[in-house]
Amino acid sequence: MSTIRIPFGPQHPALEEPINFIFEVEQERVVNVTPRLGYIHRGIEKLAENRTYLQNVYLVERICGICSFAHAACYVQAVEELLGVEVSDRARFIRTIIGEMERIQNHFLWLGLTAKEMGFETLFMYAWRDREKMLEVLELISGKRVNYGVNTIGGVRSDISTAMLEDIGDILHQLQDRAKYYKSVCTKDQTILKRTLGVGILRPRDAVKLCAVGPTLRASGITRDVRSDYPYAAYDEVPLKVVIYKGCDVASRILARIDEILVSVGIIGYALENLPSGPIRVKVPTRVPEGEAISLVEAPRGEDLHYLRSDGSEKPARLKVRAPTLANLPALCKMLIDVNIADIPVVIAGIDPCIACAERVMMIDVESKKRRTWSGEKLRRYAIEWYRKR
Amino acid sequence: MRIQSTIEGLLRKDALEISSPRERRLFIRISREKLRMTIKELTKLEGFHHLSTITAVDIGAEIELIYHLSHKDALISLRTRVPKDEPTAPTIVDLIPGATLYEREVHDLLGVRFSGNTDLSPLLLPDQWPEDVHPLRKEWSLQRITERMREK
Repeated sequence: MSTIRIPFGPQHPALEEPINFIFEVEQERVVNVTPRLGYIHRGIEKLAENRTYLQNVYLVERICGICSFAHAACYVQAVEELLGVEVSDRARFIRTIIGEMERIQNHFLWLGLTAKEMGFETLFMYAWRDREKMLEVLELISGKRVNYGVNTIGGVRSDISTAMLEDIGDILHQLQDRAKYYKSVCTKDQTILKRTLGVGILRPRDAVKLCAVGPTLRASGITRDVRSDYPYAAYDEVPLKVVIYKGCDVASRILARIDEILVSVGIIGYALENLPSGPIRVKVPTRVPEGEAISLVEAPRGEDLHYLRSDGSEKPARLKVRAPTLANLPALCKMLIDVNIADIPVVIAGIDPCIACAERVMMIDVESKKRRTWSGEKLRRYAIEWYRKR
Repeated sequence: MRIQSTIEGLLRKDALEISSPRERRLFIRISREKLRMTIKELTKLEGFHHLSTITAVDIGAEIELIYHLSHKDALISLRTRVPKDEPTAPTIVDLIPGATLYEREVHDLLGVRFSGNTDLSPLLLPDQWPEDVHPLRKEWSLQRITERMREK
C-alpha cells in the first residue's frame, strides 16, 4: 500500500501558535506524524534577559493571548520567591479568582472551537456567546478583555469591589447553568458522540510516558493537577476537586473541561464570599538578589513552568518558560496515529492547542508527486462530508 | 521532607550537591557521567510523575542542564554541567519518551548535542539557521545575532 505524506499547517493569521504536521497516511488512516514548530518563535526567553524584572511581567503576559494571566502569575511568583516577598491574603485570593475566570473563558472558547471542528456550528456560536459573559466580568475587574495586566511583583493591580459582586454572581450563575446544559448536550447528542467517542485514544500509560499535562492527561484517568499537587495562590484554602475521566478519547476531554468549568465556578464563588480584607499589593525591594526559583501554575491547558535565575543585576540571567501545549505535543502525535484523516482536526483541537484550524493543507502523493493544496475550510468540509456518507 | 532523605540515601555516592531552598523544591547536582543512571533511579521512585522540561543555562565556560522531574512530594531539579567546547550530554529519550521535544529545543537554542538522540532536526529555529549561532548563549547578544543575520 502506498503511503501519502500530507503537510498540515503551518498557519492561519487569526490564530496564535501556528504549527505544521506532516501526516503519513495509508488510505484514510494516519500511520505517522511529525510536528514542526517555530513559525512564531519570537525569542521571548532571550528578550527577557534584556528587560528588567518589572518589564518582563508585561512581556510574559504576551506569550499567549488566552492564558496570559497564568504566565504572568507564574512569573511574578518566581520573582517574589527570589525577593522573599509574601503577597497579601487578598492578593492571593484575587489571583485565584482571576485564574479560574481565565480557565472558564478558555474552556468555553475551546468547547466552541471543538464543536466547530466537528461541524456543529450552533454549539460554536452558543459557547462563544457564553464566553463573552466571562470576558465582560474580566473587563469589569481589570479594564481589559485579554492581557488583563492584573499581576505585578508583590500582588495585584486590580481590586474587586463589593459593588461588582452582584453582577459577577449573576453571570457566574448563568455560566454554571450553561455548562450543565452543554454537559447534557455532549453526553446525549448523536452528532457529538459519533465524532468524539473512541476518537483520538491516549492510553494512561502513554499519557504518563509522554509527559502529558492538564485536562489532556486528566481525561486519560490520571489525577494530576498543579493546583492540588503544588498549591499556589489560595488553592490550599478553596474547595478544589480534580476532575478526571477515564474514556481516554475526545469525548472525555470535552466532559473533563466542562466539569472543570463547574469546579471553577465553585472556587470563584467561595473565594468571593471569603475574600480577605487588606492591601492588594505590598512594596517590594527593587534589587533582586542572586538565586534561582521555579514556579508552577495550572494554566487552563495544563502545567505551566517558569524557571528564573538571577545574577543580582537588574535583568534576569535566564528565564525559561515551558507552556503546556509543548508538553502535550508528543501525546497529541500519539493520539493521531490510526485516526481517520477526517478526524485530524477534532483530535488536534482535543488537546486545546493554540491552533485550532490550519489555513493551508497540502497533500502530496509520493508516487505521482502530484500536489493538492487544501484550505483548512476544505479539509473541514471534507471531514463533514465523509462522515455524512458513512 | 521525606523525599529529600529518600533521595539522599539513594544518591549518597553520586550527588555532588543536594539542597532544598523551599518546600516542594529539591535541587541535585551530579556529574554528566551519572546523569542517565540517576534519572533511571528517580523515575523508578514511587510517586514520580513526569519530566516537566529541560532548562539549559549558559553559565560562562559551561552550560548547565537542569532536568525538572515532577514528583508528588517535590519538583526535583537534577542539574549537570557540560563544557561549552564539547557540549554533549547523553540522551534520556529512551528512559522518558516525553523528553524528545525538550532535547531538540535545547539543541536548537544552546547547541547542546544529545548523543543517542537520532532526531535533532530544528524544532524552533528556521531550517536555514546558521549552525554556529546558538541564540540563548550569552556570547550571542541581540545585536550580534542581528548583525550576523544581516551579513547573509
